[in-house]
Amino acid sequence: MPLRLAVLAFAALLACGASLLVGGSWIAPHDVLAALAHPHSGATATIVWQLRLPRVAIAACVGAALALAGALLQGLLRNPLVDPYLTGVSAGCAAAIALAILAGIAAPLLPALGFAVGLAAAIAVALLARRGSGIDANRLILAGVSLSALFSAIVAFAIARANSPDAAQQILAWLAGSIAGRTWSDLRFAAPYLGAGALLAIACIPALNALRAGDLRARTVGLDVDRAQWMILAAATLLTAASVTLAGVVGFIGLIVPHLARRTVGSDARALLPASALIGAGLCAVADAIARSVVAPSELPIGVLLAFIGVPAFLYLYLHQEQRA
Amino acid sequence: MIALHDVTIGIGERTLVREIAGEVRAGEFVAVLGPNGVGKTTLLRALCGLRAPLAGEIRLDGMNVARMSALERARRIAFVASDDAMTDALSVREVIAIGRFPHHSWWEWSPRADDVRAIDEALALVRLESFADRPFATLSSGERQRAWIAMGLAQGTPVLLLDEPTSHLDVRVAHRILALLRDLARAGRTILCVLHDLNEAAAYADRLMLLGCERMLAFDEPARVLDPATLESAYGIAVERLDTARGPRVFPVL
Repeated sequence: MPLRLAVLAFAALLACGASLLVGGSWIAPHDVLAALAHPHSGATATIVWQLRLPRVAIAACVGAALALAGALLQGLLRNPLVDPYLTGVSAGCAAAIALAILAGIAAPLLPALGFAVGLAAAIAVALLARRGSGIDANRLILAGVSLSALFSAIVAFAIARANSPDAAQQILAWLAGSIAGRTWSDLRFAAPYLGAGALLAIACIPALNALRAGDLRARTVGLDVDRAQWMILAAATLLTAASVTLAGVVGFIGLIVPHLARRTVGSDARALLPASALIGAGLCAVADAIARSVVAPSELPIGVLLAFIGVPAFLYLYLHQEQRA
Repeated sequence: MIALHDVTIGIGERTLVREIAGEVRAGEFVAVLGPNGVGKTTLLRALCGLRAPLAGEIRLDGMNVARMSALERARRIAFVASDDAMTDALSVREVIAIGRFPHHSWWEWSPRADDVRAIDEALALVRLESFADRPFATLSSGERQRAWIAMGLAQGTPVLLLDEPTSHLDVRVAHRILALLRDLARAGRTILCVLHDLNEAAAYADRLMLLGCERMLAFDEPARVLDPATLESAYGIAVERLDTARGPRVFPVL
């Protein structure tokens, strides 16, 4: 298992390194290394440090956060069809940002606003899903789907009422998922929440492993299931809210990466969580590199690209392995 | 020792059995009997703190079970629930390893030598050593039942509660499991076990607790509890008793 994790870590690092090379123009590996070593050495160093590195870091963080959140929620609900957006975070965030764009609120305020409303939406979903002192899995899914539908309707309303094509375009960019124009300051805003979410996720590892035997058996071995449920939900919500703030709604990663990780390292949370984070980070970094280079100087939304490439690739892998099994 | 002080159990507002009183001594094997829906499983869940009694108090070695933390309880009482579906793709060893949860702090992620020893012993006791690395989902229902028992054994508690551990088991494996439980009791563990087969219960348990509609009908040695009149009042069916060299046997009169 440690060997597989080491290979995944190396692959993620390689993906991040490779994505520093591509963009509007190709930069040779030795030039990238020189620029990394000397941040104030000229135009190449500026491109690497101010444009590419923040994007690669943000892509890797978003990928890792969404994959972790997906693995956490799939473990909590023991449902492989669950993705991080079930908590209502993304729908709430998108609705708030759509309304804010409609109201003409300044762009720099949007991430914080989206984050706050996304968290509020997740809290509303969690409160609706409450049963006794814990969370009811079916209620969580129902509440998440219902509130997300309501927020989607608000987004549709905002697009329909947008008084300029620019505003509608801006809203759609959030929905499609994109890291275009993100800088270090965006990452600085999200970093504490990503860090807190990741730490909480690490603290949930023993609980996730106990929950693999089901709620009842987890209780019989002494797990405080109610508290574990709230901790797992809080970790997933923080990670998802921070990543939506950074990159909008990036699909595919949170749903499918935990499956890939499970096939690679098994379902033990000690290996599953880091493997999910590493695969998510690597995939997102590569996808962002492709998104900003194939139609340069314009860009493809990373969420759309991930869905176009990732879903057929995953289905092929899945069906191929099933046939072999 | 487990002491039940006028314990009333139920689900929600519905009372199942009122004022159960008695003691289960350390090293004793007690079989809990009674018709379906009478409250046998609910009693076991109350004993291990999963469901609070509606009234009364359950004490384990003088401590009120309801006041113990979940981890404290899990270090003293293991509860083997009846078999249910399991969706995760775990190996048999991984399932049994979950039983070691109460012996770890949250930052101790890797199994220690004592965990490996406890898991290996549990696998050997239920004769599943050769199944250790097999996916749990590929086991038959009887093998799964043995794996759940092994998980309870790996928990390493002085008290073991089992809910219908012989369901899904063929007659040979069922008797092996009951003999194992009897041996564990002889070695000092306290065993409380819900059973449906009255003759199995009489053959292996030290005492039988018979639950009837809203009350405990008997809690005594098998020869006293397997009384046709008592059994008829519990199950609503006439029973014939045959006394053999190995103790009493009962048969429904059809």
